[in-house]
Amino acid sequence: MIKDANNFSILNPGAREFEPLEAVPFYQDLNLDQVINKMMLRWGKEMKKYYRYMPTSPEEVAYRRAVYRDIKSDKVYDTLVSFTENLAGIDLLRAEKEKVRIPMQKYVWFIREVGAYCEAYEELEKRLDEAGLESEGMKTFLSILKDILGSGGYRELAARTRDIMAQIKSMRFIITYDKDRMSVELGELEGEGAYEEMLERECGKEIRHLQNPFIADPTITGIENSCLEILMKKRPEFFDGLKKTAELNAGYEKKVLKRFENEVVYYLSFATLQREMESAGYRFSEPECDETKKMEAKGLYDLALALASVSSGKEVVANDFCYGEGERFFVLTGPNQGGKTTFARSLGQLVFLALMGFDVPAESANVHFFPAIQTHFSVEESVETGKGKLKEELTRLAPMMEDNQKDTFVVINELFTTAANYDAQIMGRNVLKHFIGLGCMGIYVTHLKELSEGHESVVSLRATLGDDMIPTFRIARGEASDVACAEAVVNKYRLTYEQLKERL
Amino acid sequence: MKVCLLYKDRERLNEETYYDAASIIKDLGLKHLFLASAKRLIFENGEVKSVEKEDQYIMETMRGVMMTPLSAWDEIRFRQEIIKDSVANEELIRSLYLICGEVLRKWNGLGRGAREKINQSNPVTRLTADIKVLHLFVESLGRIRELLQAEDVKLSSEGMVHFRDEFLKAFSEKRQEFMESVLADISFYTDGSDEEDEGRNRVVRPRIVMESGLEDGLKFSSLKLEEVSSRGEKFYKPGSAKYKIREFVNSRVPDSFSTINDSRVSDQTQILEYGIVSYLVEELKKEMEEFLTFFDRLRNQTAFYLGAVQLGAQMERLGDGWCFPTVCDRRDLEFNDLKELVMGLERHVDVIGNTCSLKEKDLVIVTGANQGGKSTFLRSIGIAQVMMQCGLMVMARSYSAGIFPKIFVHFTRREDSEMNSGRLDEELKRMNGIVENVGEGSLLLLNESFATTTEKEGSFIAYDIISALKEAGVRILTVTHLLSFARRVFEETKEASETDVEFLTAERKEDGRRTFRMIRHEPELTSFGLDLYREIVGEIDM
Repeated sequence: MIKDANNFSILNPGAREFEPLEAVPFYQDLNLDQVINKMMLRWGKEMKKYYRYMPTSPEEVAYRRAVYRDIKSDKVYDTLVSFTENLAGIDLLRAEKEKVRIPMQKYVWFIREVGAYCEAYEELEKRLDEAGLESEGMKTFLSILKDILGSGGYRELAARTRDIMAQIKSMRFIITYDKDRMSVELGELEGEGAYEEMLERECGKEIRHLQNPFIADPTITGIENSCLEILMKKRPEFFDGLKKTAELNAGYEKKVLKRFENEVVYYLSFATLQREMESAGYRFSEPECDETKKMEAKGLYDLALALASVSSGKEVVANDFCYGEGERFFVLTGPNQGGKTTFARSLGQLVFLALMGFDVPAESANVHFFPAIQTHFSVEESVETGKGKLKEELTRLAPMMEDNQKDTFVVINELFTTAANYDAQIMGRNVLKHFIGLGCMGIYVTHLKELSEGHESVVSLRATLGDDMIPTFRIARGEASDVACAEAVVNKYRLTYEQLKERL
Repeated sequence: MKVCLLYKDRERLNEETYYDAASIIKDLGLKHLFLASAKRLIFENGEVKSVEKEDQYIMETMRGVMMTPLSAWDEIRFRQEIIKDSVANEELIRSLYLICGEVLRKWNGLGRGAREKINQSNPVTRLTADIKVLHLFVESLGRIRELLQAEDVKLSSEGMVHFRDEFLKAFSEKRQEFMESVLADISFYTDGSDEEDEGRNRVVRPRIVMESGLEDGLKFSSLKLEEVSSRGEKFYKPGSAKYKIREFVNSRVPDSFSTINDSRVSDQTQILEYGIVSYLVEELKKEMEEFLTFFDRLRNQTAFYLGAVQLGAQMERLGDGWCFPTVCDRRDLEFNDLKELVMGLERHVDVIGNTCSLKEKDLVIVTGANQGGKSTFLRSIGIAQVMMQCGLMVMARSYSAGIFPKIFVHFTRREDSEMNSGRLDEELKRMNGIVENVGEGSLLLLNESFATTTEKEGSFIAYDIISALKEAGVRILTVTHLLSFARRVFEETKEASETDVEFLTAERKEDGRRTFRMIRHEPELTSFGLDLYREIVGEIDM
């Protein structure tokens, strides 16, 4: 690949600029918002937009997957985390600089900031060099970085700033305040200050040093400034040189590095989440993306639910699935509260995370490429009922069913619950037929067992009940049936006819 | 710096107070005793010239200390010895107590205890107050050292001697000099702030020398303080000729700038002065940290001893004086001419004492006609016991008793008219509280208990409760009209050669004269009822 030092993105090989997706419903329907919000707590709001930017080709997916593989490794991960922490420190320095009024302090703070910035990159380069990078994206970045640090670059600048700061810190002077005047002379006292030594002797214990009384104000105060002016008179060549260095490096930041700084958070945020979840006992795996093999997953779970359960301690049930030869749609039926929606969501999350290049919440998975994800969840809290609700559902459904939405992954959760059974069956069948016809794959959660029949590409899945009639949250292939969900509850409270006869 | 005058090894009162201290105070009338101890008698030529108004703090302290019993002879002796020292060095104890009170009062005036309010106030005001507090401490501690070292002070008790030694170590002359010298060095900060300084033609100005470096923001860093001092100079009006001349002379210092001409610089000069002074004040405050609660503790503990001294004077005023009790086995009780102190204090008369000697008795039942001094007898023991157990002297020629960390009183309160309904219920409820709390070393004083019901019923209740408590090891003294009860116990024990029950009554000579000696006496079957009948109705057939 041709290296263009000014045009590089760690998110896609062509360094395309992008517009983040509009607010697409699937983020909310699949509870991805919960996952993203959790990551935002640590990584800031800015990162959110990168999750709205999906790869447009299998090549882009592969590019990201390779980068993520590098970044999730311990060495690179630790390197980048400490790098982002260094950058956050530099942001604080930048903010401080804005408060300064006195020019010489502004120069010094600027030099301190430049020095910290160059050092952050020096360290990044050194550690990435030793990390054994594999991905095209990261290797390209490293070589760009080496050029920038190279002759006449950041490395030299860093050394110069270090020298300036060292000289500032080595400057000592004596202030005498007497008779309403303060005088300053360069030099040092003998010992640690006679008065402090006397205190220490008399108190018989170590005492703390006198603090700068002006410490509360981060900028230079009047007295400090007056002293500084005397020092500048006494050391003119040093302070002039300092000023020149600052002026010459006013535009020290490189655009290509800035872009990397922003984009790398995309990978780091997910890698951090994955590490936290793994240490809480949840498994992740790198998905295969082999179009020639069946799409399937083992031990798939709902990541958002798992996140919530880390604190609640509730068990999260994992499921397996497989789209067999020629199978394109799951129709999922079963009792209420039986885990249907959770399973549908986990399927959608799987596709999304695999497309984004991340590891997926499953023991293993093979996920095909889809140009888009489409979801339709019934709005449960909607005040609309009857005709109004059906209308609202159909209004949302219509744009999903336009002819240009080909080959997408579709998650539908409970359509047409308020329509007449006869109507609902017909509409449902039509929806399925439409999506299958456009080459889509997906899952359709429904109460209508009839939908699972009559199409060779449709597979019937059922949420199962245990022997005690209590939901197991396991999803398996099976013939759809109308399950009496009340029976479990009735049993639990011993209110069947026989039980009541016994008790009464 | 620990005071340790109440206990050899602790500053605060033990947490174990008497159960239901309020009842003990009420039933034994101890309020009068607290009050008496809080009043100073002023003598002139051996006569009481006047009585000072009571000191509330001493009253409160006496109450607290007296309601917290000691549990060992050693502890009692420790306080008795200090009381002897206090009596011999009354002026020392009084001065210590008064100095502490004065320090605390001034300190409160400077904002102690109003921390929140002070914290919101101007930091300069706060620092100025801190400096005043330091002056107050150094001066007061100096006075205390002088008092303790005075020639006419002779201390022999372990507690007082130890306190003096520890104090002289904690606040040596050298320490005082150091504190005073630093306070003098920073006097520029406060001198002139008092009204009295105004009008004096003199100002105090600082001289400060320090080394500094620069941190990476060009601000001062790693300061080293070389010199701080205060120096008085003549005050010249700004703008006057002399002022200008002095300013000109001063301005010839090379590489210097004025700290008064530029308002920004002069404001910050104040911050610098504040910073350095508060730094030094913080260090001095750390030096005084061990004295932060010292004045509270010393005031509290000397209040008890001053109270004891004043109580002793009150007792002497009433009559023959007092003695320090001694501790013996819990089953024995022996005293000579024991007087009911509260009654004496209340009536300002010398009351007549009782003498008694009991060996290996667990239950003492006092019966006899009214007006025989039964209740007074019981109370005098209760009062003496409480006084002994906090280290105080008692009003008797001698007094020897065991230590009872748990004293319970159960007096029938005839005066509680509001309790007319369900009085037996109330009595039994109180008894229930006592039963829940008895334990090792319990002494129960019963005065006309269970008299709120019929004699027969009351006797049954009393027999059951008292037998059970006695078997549980509780030492019981009861004054009772429940003759069935007393007779029943008497019948059970009269055959035995050795008995742990004693029956007492106030001795009367045949002519009816009282000897105020408690003598062994078989309980009668009859009491005042028949007498009363006879008195009011007339003859009665037996």
